[in-house]
Amino acid sequence: MRLLSHASFRRLGAGALLALAAVPLLWTALEALRTGSHSAAWRSLAQDPALVHAALLTLWTGLASTLLAWWGAAALLARGFVRQRLARLLRGLPVMLATPHAALAIGFLFLLAPSGWLLRALSPWLTGFDSPPPWPTTQDPWGLGLIAALVIKEIPFLLWTAATQLQRDDVRQRWRAEHALAQTLGYAPRRAFWLVLWPQLATRLRWPLLAVLAYGLTVVDMALVIGPASPPTLAVLAWQWLQDADPATYTQGAAAGVLLALMVLACSAFWLGAQRLQRQALAHGHGVRGSTARTPGTDIGLWLLVGVYAAVLLALAVGSVSGVWAFPAVWPQSFTNAAWAQVMQSSGTVLTTLWLAAGSSAVALLWSVAWLELAPRRWDDALRPLLYLPLVLPAVLWVVGLYGVGLQLRLEGQASGLLIAHTLMVLPYVLLALSPAYLGFDPRYAQLNASLGRSGWAFLLRVKWPLLKRALASAAAVGFAVSVAQYLPTLYVGAGRFASVTTEAVTLASGGQRSLTSAYAGLQLALPMLAFALAAWLGRPRRFTHPVA
Amino acid sequence: MPQHPTAHLSRRQLLLAAGAASLSPAWAQSTWPAIEQAARGQTVFWNAWAGSEQTNAYLQWVAQQVQTSHGVKLQHVKITDTADVVKRVRAEKAAGRTASEGTVDLVWINGENFAAMKREGLLFGPWAETLPHFKLVDVAGKPTTLNDFSVPTDGMESPWGMAQFTLFADSKRLPQQPQSMQALLTLARAQPGRITHPRLPDFHGTTFIKQALVEFAPDAKALAQPVTDAAFATQTAALWPFLDALRPHLWRAGKQFPQNAAAVRQMMADGELLLAITFNPNEAANEIAAKRLPTSVVSWQFEKGTIGNTHFVAIPYNARAKAGAQVVANFLLSPAAQARKADIAHWGDPTVLDVARLPAADRALFQTGNQPGLVAKGAPTLPEPHASWVDPLEKEWARRYGV
Repeated sequence: MRLLSHASFRRLGAGALLALAAVPLLWTALEALRTGSHSAAWRSLAQDPALVHAALLTLWTGLASTLLAWWGAAALLARGFVRQRLARLLRGLPVMLATPHAALAIGFLFLLAPSGWLLRALSPWLTGFDSPPPWPTTQDPWGLGLIAALVIKEIPFLLWTAATQLQRDDVRQRWRAEHALAQTLGYAPRRAFWLVLWPQLATRLRWPLLAVLAYGLTVVDMALVIGPASPPTLAVLAWQWLQDADPATYTQGAAAGVLLALMVLACSAFWLGAQRLQRQALAHGHGVRGSTARTPGTDIGLWLLVGVYAAVLLALAVGSVSGVWAFPAVWPQSFTNAAWAQVMQSSGTVLTTLWLAAGSSAVALLWSVAWLELAPRRWDDALRPLLYLPLVLPAVLWVVGLYGVGLQLRLEGQASGLLIAHTLMVLPYVLLALSPAYLGFDPRYAQLNASLGRSGWAFLLRVKWPLLKRALASAAAVGFAVSVAQYLPTLYVGAGRFASVTTEAVTLASGGQRSLTSAYAGLQLALPMLAFALAAWLGRPRRFTHPVA
Repeated sequence: MPQHPTAHLSRRQLLLAAGAASLSPAWAQSTWPAIEQAARGQTVFWNAWAGSEQTNAYLQWVAQQVQTSHGVKLQHVKITDTADVVKRVRAEKAAGRTASEGTVDLVWINGENFAAMKREGLLFGPWAETLPHFKLVDVAGKPTTLNDFSVPTDGMESPWGMAQFTLFADSKRLPQQPQSMQALLTLARAQPGRITHPRLPDFHGTTFIKQALVEFAPDAKALAQPVTDAAFATQTAALWPFLDALRPHLWRAGKQFPQNAAAVRQMMADGELLLAITFNPNEAANEIAAKRLPTSVVSWQFEKGTIGNTHFVAIPYNARAKAGAQVVANFLLSPAAQARKADIAHWGDPTVLDVARLPAADRALFQTGNQPGLVAKGAPTLPEPHASWVDPLEKEWARRYGV
């Protein structure tokens, strides 16, 4: 006898899943807010001489980088879609996605610095420089270097999330049809893309975009490496205050984290409002068809992006084996493998990183699949903002909450506490990555399955999950990469006892040895890349061997 | 994955005995074997800055040694900033953790961090002066082994190594090395944009300003006292005009400062800056040995002396492995450990021991050759200002130059 109907069973399951995720998420957020809301801390924050300048820098770098990344990703997508070359566009993405933010910033810095590769290549034969010129090309006070690095890092993320939308068969087919229809009405292919498809895609990319915006406004590690220094951005200031031994300064850092969160909220509202206005303006299109004369040249944008990543990776590779290497020598004057020898010695950090990343992405994937399978769509829509909290809350604030909760539960310095902290950070990314394909799964398969009298489990195991395995595998790989890149939660909740390749890389970067920093950045890059490669292999299409008739 | 030591009852009783014992030195002497026995099988989580591979490799060696000789499992907890540890122990205290419920057993510490932990009762002790090897320490010749930034150690931390403000530069780019802060200003005027120091409150940045303070303060004795508003005004009166004069000739016109000394060193190695600063007199020799700096790099200290201090290890009040931590601290003071630490090939950090008083066999361990990059002619060590000077100095610097 069944006590519960099928629907209420699903609801019960979804409720349990919700509690599992929402309780720690809300608790962490509230703990962070509690720590960051002391009035004394806000008073001293308001009196800090660097506050206004730092906050303005934060707004400028965050908004400018998001705008440029958005525009860049849109332009690349438009070109790729119109010329039916999306597959080519997406080929290099896993490498770019796997490149950790800090590693990118370190390599990028070495290209641009006054003593960097670009100028070394031109000196002294062209520039006449025997010593690096006094140019503020790194840590420039206007934050241009930080903006450039953020744009380069975020375009691949936006492209990839757009690609997850286009992986949905239903969407892709409909959009192709609409695009063709618009062209029959006389619109040039590019203009048809911008008028018909882009508004639809932009709406669906709302959450990834907000994640990019929040990241740009609150990033710490990249800003430390390449961002302005006097004053730095508000996130870096908050991070420095949080590191202070004085408890009053610590709470001031937490208050700055809350302020950052408010800035993220305000900017998000502003952005979404602007987008809506733009959409309304487009809706009243006046039928300008535009000419087809603009023949696109080479894919210069794509090549530029690929070129920067290639140069960054090469700079890291050469840097990791460099010994003495003074300006203006283009290649190191002496080589040493000491850095890699050191990396080999700390194989324990690789194991810690692997089990944390594998564990947290597996748990997050299980949870996400169960949630998407069981939760009513209404619940899902309503609760997304809560589930995406770690995406939009500043990392500096989030870690305050995680550490506070960890202390209360006596989970600090414990493997279980660290795994929970990582899972909370990984979950929204996995959910974000998986949802489009999972929710877009053609319902007629299920109807067909039922009509054949097969059970729900058989459908999931034999039909749905195998068909979705590419999305499942790549969502897990994204989760893996997010876990590998976690610095603050690993340090705080792990009480420093768990060294991952990222904590090791950042710690060694404080020692400033180019070779060691580059070598660890390389390792930090290699692990997620392996995960993406594994995901690509697991996600390859099934091949059925047909019996020869 | 680190395991927590499972404390057996007998072991815990021994540990309590050892803890109580260290309150009275005479009895502690007799119970050192008890401490050693209690330490056996303990895991010591040592929170120590890990930004240098030599340091990390040395700590690994220490771990092997204490494991073999005393059965103590030493885990290096790698940190970037000791203030994090102070904060963690404070948070643990605020969360109601009692003795032997903490996550830190031993911490590499000095200066403000020690002053804060001592003041707030976050430390276990006194224990340091009852360590068997403590009697080898050169407390007369190196008074900073008992006074950490003019704060008496009172046996709450055990000395580990010496440090002194030192400069280094490529002699090919800088044949004449400046011998005072005033000479540094002259050099900066001649070659603008080629000199800088890390942005305060970075440790080396603060040290640079403190060195200037010591050179320009009218009364050095006042700096050894806790700071007052009046003393601060008098003693820094000549410092700010000097920094005002220096600033426009610094790297990027003094509108920006590098994050830390490592960044300064990298820029010196690249040729962007003329000189770098360090608190380890052997750093340049270490870097040359590691082939990261050319052999033409030289180190020097200002003729009239530079400020110096001692770094220590301390045990938090809530350490789980207090006996093990003391065994490690005692091992760190052994001639073998100190000699290896002083050796350029391994670390190159000056010893706290009185080498002249050691037996000949131990003394022989400290013989080093004449590697390139070593300080050619040592200068006197000037005492650090009292720890309380740091905060107002950093605040005033930030107000004037921080934005």
